[in-house]
Amino acid sequence: MRSWLKMIKELTIRPKGERKVRKSPSYSIDEDLKKPLSGQTVKEILSKSSDIVFREFFLQGKERIPCLLIVVDGLVDKNLLDEFVLKPLMVELVGHPELAKATLSNVIDITIQSLLPGVEIKKISEMKDAVSSILSGDSVIFFGDSSEAIVIGARGWAHRGVNEPIAESIVKGPHEGFAETLRINTSLLRRKIKHPSLRIISLKLGDMSNTDLVVTYIEKIASPDIVSEVLKRLAKIKMDSVIDVGYIEEMIEDNPYSPFPQIAYTERPDVLAGKLLEGKVGIIVDGTPIVLVVPAILTQFLNVNEDYYQRAMTAILSRFVRYVGAFVAVVAPSVYIAVTTFHQEIIPTDLLMSISAGRQGVPFPALLEAITMTVVLEILQEAGLRLPKPIGQTIGIVGALIIGDAAVNAGLVSPLMVIIIGLTAVASYAIPYYDLSLAVRLIRFPLMILAGILGFFGVAVGLYAIMIHLLGLRSFGVPYTSPIAPLRIRALLQDTFVRAPWWALKSRPQLMDVEEPRPNGKG
Amino acid sequence: MERISSHQFMVLGAAVLMGTTFLPIASMVTGVASRDGWMSVLPGFAVGIPYSLMVISLLEQYPQKNLLQISEILLGKWICKIIGIVYILITGYFGGLLLGQVGDIYQSSIMPLTPIGMFYLGGILLVFCLIRSGIEVFARFSEIIFPLIVIALVLNMGLSMPRIEQGEFLPILSEGIKPIIWGGLKVAPFAMEYILFIAGILTFLPTGKRELAQLKRGVWQAVFWVGFLNTLVVLIQILIFGPGETVSLVYGLLVLGKMVEISRTFAGVESLFLGAWFGALVIKVSAFFFTVNWGLETVFNLKGLKWNLGVGVVFMGIAFKFKRGPVLVMEIGFVDNYLILPFASVWILTLWGISRWKKVAGIS
Repeated sequence: MRSWLKMIKELTIRPKGERKVRKSPSYSIDEDLKKPLSGQTVKEILSKSSDIVFREFFLQGKERIPCLLIVVDGLVDKNLLDEFVLKPLMVELVGHPELAKATLSNVIDITIQSLLPGVEIKKISEMKDAVSSILSGDSVIFFGDSSEAIVIGARGWAHRGVNEPIAESIVKGPHEGFAETLRINTSLLRRKIKHPSLRIISLKLGDMSNTDLVVTYIEKIASPDIVSEVLKRLAKIKMDSVIDVGYIEEMIEDNPYSPFPQIAYTERPDVLAGKLLEGKVGIIVDGTPIVLVVPAILTQFLNVNEDYYQRAMTAILSRFVRYVGAFVAVVAPSVYIAVTTFHQEIIPTDLLMSISAGRQGVPFPALLEAITMTVVLEILQEAGLRLPKPIGQTIGIVGALIIGDAAVNAGLVSPLMVIIIGLTAVASYAIPYYDLSLAVRLIRFPLMILAGILGFFGVAVGLYAIMIHLLGLRSFGVPYTSPIAPLRIRALLQDTFVRAPWWALKSRPQLMDVEEPRPNGKG
Repeated sequence: MERISSHQFMVLGAAVLMGTTFLPIASMVTGVASRDGWMSVLPGFAVGIPYSLMVISLLEQYPQKNLLQISEILLGKWICKIIGIVYILITGYFGGLLLGQVGDIYQSSIMPLTPIGMFYLGGILLVFCLIRSGIEVFARFSEIIFPLIVIALVLNMGLSMPRIEQGEFLPILSEGIKPIIWGGLKVAPFAMEYILFIAGILTFLPTGKRELAQLKRGVWQAVFWVGFLNTLVVLIQILIFGPGETVSLVYGLLVLGKMVEISRTFAGVESLFLGAWFGALVIKVSAFFFTVNWGLETVFNLKGLKWNLGVGVVFMGIAFKFKRGPVLVMEIGFVDNYLILPFASVWILTLWGISRWKKVAGIS
């Protein structure tokens, strides 16, 4: 019993200090990595993998120096390596006055300073650095039994190019999106913000995956407290692999039990740049095009970057439609249940007659009818989501038209209920962030049950309970419901429910401590 | 330590002061001052201003201490304990009665067949969520709910305007000024409920010179706006129902809500307004739940989940005891007039007087 309770506790309560997840077992390799650096030891460690290439050659300097180049096949640009590393060292530079001076003791310095023209060349002396560099795609050259080596950055592998993100498509604005390669992503960001205050701090996470990630922010705009909090929370993570940002998200968010997303994400460099200019912090992880943005507030999940590319008036209309859509997606089924079950008095007589005619012969109460239809909708959505596009569309048509129509004809549900559920589904698509849309789908069910039991009183209890929960949430110290509560009147009027014209966006959002006032305009 | 801003203090104060005063106020003041009842509302609420300013001046003198802690400094440990016990009992009892009002209003107006306990349970659950979330979340909650209450009130009054009968307005002051003073005395306990709340919230308020000035301004603004809105509520009811019927309708505004009809499309929208007003009741009950908690913590050092649960059970018990309608309204009136009004007015005046005397006499 005690072990059961312990297991339940482990599964439900997140530890406060170091967050260990699937910590790797200790390998003999761990001991090897502590040994002094030498080419032979590295070769012994990596020789069991067939994709590791060991290329031995000699340098003819003052003495004949044996060299060992180690790379991972598929992670390096072989042409680059042949043309600018092996060919000069073995052929073109033979007889070069500098090379002629080389001995085992000075060959590394001479090679770096005078022989190899590359930008990314550095000297290392630690075993773990050598192994990690090779496995990350760098090329490492060992010279004889020297305890130092050269790392050459000649990475090159097959990767997806810069495409338009599927989940964040827009009509007006830049169409490029992040890719899976970290450096491509940082370069896309750097192209948007060409200022020395853009900080990109590199980290590694995952004992086995050794995933590269960067924390990026703009110094003097981002709050130092938030930056240090992000770094502190990332440092607490101890897990064997980080394959996607989702692994990190749950480990660093403030309230892991809330259905509401507390960390925003984007696949677009323009969005990330805009958020950094508002004082937020980005987390870019190698291997995924999704970039995390912290801190996040509720209204941010209902606003999109296109709002800033359109004219202010049309942006305001778009936002209004999204907010109304979100509200309808949350309350439409529960209000229908409450009205038809408890509060018929607020419906005009003609409409009431029409509703009751539609419901005539339906054997279920409105609550059961609504829950059944919503579950069917959820199944259809889930089924269509991961299917190939043409089949997914078929599922939608089959679900919406055929099953819905058949259910009405069979007298299982009323036509109005089909309309309400259809409206709810369409309204939930107006929510631009998928994570928030999922949260809305989740909270719809308890609201429907409360409406079925207590009518509008139940809906009010449910909505107030959700409100209290939202008011208590924080994202990296920033209240989730800011700037509505606590009220920040300028931010509210400037860029929350409405988007003021660019010439009126004179200051940055007051969501956090921002050290430098915005000179003019949003960015 | 949790902190709330001066703006949050203003809105929270206004929400607590407002509570659901707009429901029974018309019946109360019209019963005393008849057709001129609307004139006694603003002066009645204004009684709260000097008392609030006295409390803030005590905060200035004793920063980050609530009124019970200040009582201990000024009056000694045992007198403070007695005051603390009275404070806990009065606010706890009153909070329980207000919780009872949640059930009473809902059952009597829109859901007569639903067991009354369900309304108590819904109300106390929300109150409990707010209490556990802390004063910051409570302040933010009021920042959202208070504007909704005001919008619901304005809509209710605005949509009822076509039913106004101008003849009900006159004659003015036909009975002289005396009934207005008595009417004001009926309203004054509402202001004292607010005073009891701010007596406890002092520890969470900023104490800088600029912030203190903002707090004082916040008190003025809260009292004025709540008084003004309630004046309109009374006036509209008198103009629509006439003084006689206004007295007999305990929750006259709900009746007005029932009469609202928008373009023959929506009618009887009081169930929608009740959603916003339910938020007002939750704020008021939570305010008294907080005061009980602060009292227990200051006087007996009792705090934590189990004491919160205990207070919740007591609130539920009180709500069940005084079930419905006139009995409940009479009991609320009794506590307001004979417990809250004398207790708060004497306590604050005494503390303020002693602190001034000590300051003038140079006694620390």
